Amino acid sequence: METTRRSFLAGLLAASACPTPSWADVGSPAFLSAARQRDGAFALFGLAADGAHLFEIPLPARGHAAAAHPYQPIAVAFARRPGTFAVVIDCSTGHEIKRLLAPAGRHFYGHGVFSGDGALLFTTENDFEQAEGRIGVWDVARGYQRVAEFSSGGVGPHDIKLMPDGQSLVIANGGIETHPDSGRTKLNIPTMQPNLSYVSLEGMVLDQVGHGAARRLASIRHLAVRGDGQVAIGCQWQGSLADEPLVYTHNRGADLTAVPLPQQSVDFGGYIGSIAYAADGQMIAATSPRGNVVLLHDLRTAVSSVVSQADVSGVAAAQDGLVLTTGEGLLLKGTGAGLSTVAAADVQWDNHLVALNT
Amino acid sequence: MLRKVSIALICMAHSAMADQAIVGRFLDEHALPAFDQLDRSAANLAEVSATHCDGQSPELLAAYGQAFDAWVGVSHIRVGPSEEEDRAFALAFWPDTKGFTAKSLNALIKAADPVVYEPEGFASISIAARGFYALEFLLFDAGLQDAETATYRCDLVRAIAHEIHQNAAAIKWGWQGYQDVLRVPSADGPYKDDTEALREVFKALHTGLQFTSDARLGRPLGTFERPRPRRAEAWRSERSARHVQLALVASYELALMLAADEPLITQSLQAAYDRTIELVEQIDDPAFAGVADPSGRFRVEVLRQAVDRIREIVTLELAPALGVTAGFNSLDGD
Repeated sequence: METTRRSFLAGLLAASACPTPSWADVGSPAFLSAARQRDGAFALFGLAADGAHLFEIPLPARGHAAAAHPYQPIAVAFARRPGTFAVVIDCSTGHEIKRLLAPAGRHFYGHGVFSGDGALLFTTENDFEQAEGRIGVWDVARGYQRVAEFSSGGVGPHDIKLMPDGQSLVIANGGIETHPDSGRTKLNIPTMQPNLSYVSLEGMVLDQVGHGAARRLASIRHLAVRGDGQVAIGCQWQGSLADEPLVYTHNRGADLTAVPLPQQSVDFGGYIGSIAYAADGQMIAATSPRGNVVLLHDLRTAVSSVVSQADVSGVAAAQDGLVLTTGEGLLLKGTGAGLSTVAAADVQWDNHLVALNT
Repeated sequence: MLRKVSIALICMAHSAMADQAIVGRFLDEHALPAFDQLDRSAANLAEVSATHCDGQSPELLAAYGQAFDAWVGVSHIRVGPSEEEDRAFALAFWPDTKGFTAKSLNALIKAADPVVYEPEGFASISIAARGFYALEFLLFDAGLQDAETATYRCDLVRAIAHEIHQNAAAIKWGWQGYQDVLRVPSADGPYKDDTEALREVFKALHTGLQFTSDARLGRPLGTFERPRPRRAEAWRSERSARHVQLALVASYELALMLAADEPLITQSLQAAYDRTIELVEQIDDPAFAGVADPSGRFRVEVLRQAVDRIREIVTLELAPALGVTAGFNSLDGD
């Protein structure tokens, strides 16, 4: 009861523009991104659409993705896998509100997402003794107390997103088993079976889809969700060099559909770093920091093109298209016509750029 | 500005011609002879198993040991023919975190599955029941040694040995063609230029060392509170420390080839490898059973640290010198 009332009140406060801090109070950042700074320290940045740094909050170790609360200026920055901490940050003060620690026998994978009402946080985790993916459930109103967990529907869950219905989650089960005793070494490549799982907020598996045998080594890792529920998927190839597709789209109930590649040969180095839809949902961008390229796929014309960009990885929807970041500190604007530099910073932008709907 | 200048210098120091020479030596003096050796010793294993299939037979155990040694010597070269048709997976299904090998072998034996008499059929059963680690389990697991019937176990040994040889031979022959893919990069091939080919060779060194540290040593070490001696590689046949040693010797050879134009890095690598190989040779604990007690554990931990010191030199000194350093995100920021 208490939880419900409190989260209801919190929502009411935000909606009625009372002095509860909102994203507007921190300058209405358009994006969040983790970075390594010049001195080697790690931080989470709030960025304006023009790349201006609105805030900069230190992180204890290398970050990965972040989850933004839907209306409070709160971000959860996740350690890169196999990290065991996530930091809940009040972006209006720069203070750490809470440090989430993975329970014994679990570690985080670097991704998480809030429920639509902001009451719950879901985190992808590894139960490494059982080699099973888990989703941790944390109650925001109870000070981010861990209140439940359920199966991710596979091994090695990585990205997780809320579906537009607000009632279900989509999870990228990469299929790869790791154990902290052996670092980031992959332990089950010969038998790995990645899948994309849709689950209810209570953890009931609603739908699952995987690759056929020929594409079994395409670890499903990063996701973007469009307003109508279409999911774009970025994979990482776990074998030696191959030409199997790494970018897919999916609609529930259907098979995975490979996104066509342009005529000229494209080298992703087997690795897609991030994926996003442009704001109008008509373009998919998939970055490959190993291939130093961005794949742009126009869903209206079904035409794909490739743009070169060194160490490009972060990508997110922006008001007029896409924004991308690189490990060399660039923030770029992406349109069908190509990329153009918006800002350059003396930091190394990390794997993911998170768009905020503020 | 300074950074740009130093990068330019490195690029100049390491020319395409030098890249090509390293790739050539990797093929001619490291990979191809080692795959030859694997093929020959696997052929011998198959041949010996035809007349000696009893798990106690010294002839069989010697042939098994030689062939397994040869596998460890190429286990870091995971590219091209080894990866086609799951050959390397079928030769070496380890780690086996879910006990698939035990399950698959027990199921075959229990059913006295006639698939062992059909070479083609056997080549398509679970990879967990094939290759060196399945053979090791069959020959050394206490529970399987008395499994009925001795005749069937014998036939299973022969089937596994035969299939090991088939895969070893297929990899060897595959390299006859694949070597040119690395030797002569082309714009529409998997390696566009000499640097990409060199990067693949570097990757063999880098991931091989990672596997030795993380899997061969990290798995048995577990944590101080929870050591895992039964997770050591090939502990039943007490080959765990030997595999670390063999992997280091192969890795050393490759590292020196890659560092050939860098005398200072060669020196640091020599010091680090010599020390590490000495440490592994001093370990009087072939199956790493001692990780469960503090003093035995300490020795294996020190060994792992020594391997990690080599990795540090390889990542921080050798990679930049070769011009194969990866970017912040491309170096698996995932």
